Amino acid sequence: MQNSEELKWALLIASLAMLTMAFCMISFVMYYQKRRFEEEKRISDIEKNYNRMLLDTALNSEETERRRIAQDLHDDIGTMLSLTKLSLNQLSKMVGNSGNEKEDQIMKKSQTLVEETILHVRRITRDLVPTTLERFGLMEAIEEFIHKLEEDNNLAITFQANTDDFPRQGQKLELTLYRIMQELVNNAIKHASCSKIDIRLEINDQMIGLKVTDNGVGFDPEKIKENNLAGLGLLGIESRLAIVNGTVQYEKPEKGGASAFAQIPMMPVSDSKPEPLHPFRRERVNI
Amino acid sequence: MLEIYSSYCFRNPLPSIAVFITLLPLILIVLRKAYLDPSFKLLLVYLIIKLLVDVIMLCSAANHQNNILFFNLAIPVNYAFLGGMFYFKFDSPSLKKGLVASVIVFFAFTAWDIFNSNSEISDLHNHRAVLFAKTVEGVLIITLILLFFYEIIKSLQIPNLLTFPFFWICSGLLLYYSSFIFIAPVLHYTATWKPSVDMGITETIPTIFEIVCALFFSVGIYHFSAADYAKQ
Repeated sequence: MQNSEELKWALLIASLAMLTMAFCMISFVMYYQKRRFEEEKRISDIEKNYNRMLLDTALNSEETERRRIAQDLHDDIGTMLSLTKLSLNQLSKMVGNSGNEKEDQIMKKSQTLVEETILHVRRITRDLVPTTLERFGLMEAIEEFIHKLEEDNNLAITFQANTDDFPRQGQKLELTLYRIMQELVNNAIKHASCSKIDIRLEINDQMIGLKVTDNGVGFDPEKIKENNLAGLGLLGIESRLAIVNGTVQYEKPEKGGASAFAQIPMMPVSDSKPEPLHPFRRERVNI
Repeated sequence: MLEIYSSYCFRNPLPSIAVFITLLPLILIVLRKAYLDPSFKLLLVYLIIKLLVDVIMLCSAANHQNNILFFNLAIPVNYAFLGGMFYFKFDSPSLKKGLVASVIVFFAFTAWDIFNSNSEISDLHNHRAVLFAKTVEGVLIITLILLFFYEIIKSLQIPNLLTFPFFWICSGLLLYYSSFIFIAPVLHYTATWKPSVDMGITETIPTIFEIVCALFFSVGIYHFSAADYAKQ
């Protein structure tokens, strides 16, 4: 009887100990798994931030380089071309007085070429640094961009915004949207064989959306991304968006063509006015 | 006839609840379509067999008949189905091979244990519980659970274990077999017509955890999503 009682207690204690171990094992697995996931998430966040910083730095460098080239073009080549034009004007007067018709023709041709070159340099400088964007804002910059494109191409480009008074955004956000718009429109012109492009800008309390739709041949974004060279433009768009936590969606409308919709969350606009982006100042861009 | 069973159920509420609570995970598997997953399909078969065996044992007990034979025969069948569930969850091919081998060996071992524990196998009235097989079953199942836990920690594929159905199944089984592992060998001496040892409240611990196990199964199956499984 005594042995039976002892056995009963021994079994009870052993079973309870085993159960406690089982409970501990389950809790440990849950705790350890959770901790490992948190660690993995932390590492992944660090990697993501690092990659974002790298991208940010690369894009900043790109903008700085664009500005430097624009400055050099304007200050050096632009000035030299202006001087050349001045000299040619003086020379033209001298040649005109001599009465040689052939020399006069060559002179006029040279003057025209120099004037055209000056115009080209101005255009390249403006393309490199969108001065209108920083001076007047996104809507005006897009309108200017469209105006220039319509002059050069036989294209119908429409631009709409869901508000007439589009508020100014941070420098980085405006530049990102402008560059994405530029890339999407250039892609449509280069690859889509389209005759009509529609640009739409939408803003609400949380997001700014940019939609570019064309009536061209359309494309499969996944297939294009697989092609290293052709997909660079789309990857560039995604890289720019990654820095500002934005997203992009590509669609193939039923009526044909292609549509890209980029969305960027609103960012608080700093009180200080953005540094004027002007090609004539030698300064480092910090977007 | 019904009176005999109902009075038995009233006299032994805990073992009766342990029998009929099996219906809860069983119904949930059908309702949540968890049988789409091969592991849960085996769990469904296991639960059906368990319910049948338990009901037969309950009827036999109510009629004062020895039901230990069903207990003994259910041991290798239970292990085959429970172990089979892990077959579909393990990633390692060597573990899968070892699992299949253990099921085959365990069938042979249980058969030997039944004969070893009952010198007069034809005497069903004095049939006794196996001495080792139930404990070995517990050790094997606990080992499989620990190996599975090791794999999920190593692979780090499940973000939230609390919403992972098979984690609940494993936890339920771990608790049940942990509560039973020390009591199982003693059943050979206590589960007889004339027991030499009275285990008292200790005997009810596995029954309580059998109910807990069925509840854990139910929670796990409740978290099963047929739509998510189809996406995998």
